[in-house]
Amino acid sequence: MLLRLLAIGALLAVASVAYVWWSRQQGRVRHVVVAGALTPADLGAPRGQRATLVQFSTPMCAKCPPTRDLLLRVAADDPYVTHIEIDASEHLDLARRLDIMRTPTTLVLDAAGVVVSRMNGAPSEAQARAALAEVPPPTEYSI
Amino acid sequence: MSPTDDIRIDPRGYRFGALVTLAFALAALILGPNAAGIILMAVLTAMFLPGATVGPHVTVQSFLFRTFIRPRIGAPTETESFRPPRFAQQMGLVMAAAALVLGLAGVTAGFFVFAALVTVASFLNGVFGFCAGCEIYLLLKRATTKAA
Repeated sequence: MLLRLLAIGALLAVASVAYVWWSRQQGRVRHVVVAGALTPADLGAPRGQRATLVQFSTPMCAKCPPTRDLLLRVAADDPYVTHIEIDASEHLDLARRLDIMRTPTTLVLDAAGVVVSRMNGAPSEAQARAALAEVPPPTEYSI
Repeated sequence: MSPTDDIRIDPRGYRFGALVTLAFALAALILGPNAAGIILMAVLTAMFLPGATVGPHVTVQSFLFRTFIRPRIGAPTETESFRPPRFAQQMGLVMAAAALVLGLAGVTAGFFVFAALVTVASFLNGVFGFCAGCEIYLLLKRATTKAA
């Protein structure tokens, strides 16, 4: 009995440590290199002229709606930034191509539709703004 | 993404529900696959049924929350869709039923493995608000749907 209680205690301790590690990864801005650009046809919506926030969600995702609200708020500050939400469970080919393993995952695209960075999990507003700030302003040609 | 037939629930309610689940799963894990442990697992499986079929707003845990806790803590500041927790209840149902069946079949290790899975999932949900189903749903979809 004592051994079993100790085993259960150890199990929950390991789960807690794993959770803390996981929660620290949430929304971290990672710079990634993805070959090629994402076209409006890929995304099913027009891109922003400076940057596009592409949020992958599913209907079984508690953090997706608040993340959408946050990203829409951040995108609203710049008329050249667009937010697109894609249901990853309905667009599995795109999710596989872009290696989307969990939701929400947000890709930040530049004016040409090239992926600059990604945030796995729900980002904070500061993380979302930092990711967006790294995208260069549009050139005169792209406006 | 937000169909009109969505039902909004109080997220504090299903976190409380997860703690009730945790109490049952922990007790079953401590008792092991003897008569008492198996009865507890059967009760837990039955408690998952309404949440997995209709939604987390019709469970015994939800009733307890609305009757005894909600009146003391007031209305929630935010609500969530019932879909992620319903999916979580479906996962819980499968794991608890697996523990029950394996326990009845005399597969002791199987009982402990699935009871431990229910324990960890409800612990993370109740204590930290972590939604294991949310993380697993897309992986499950990716694994079970062939590339076009």
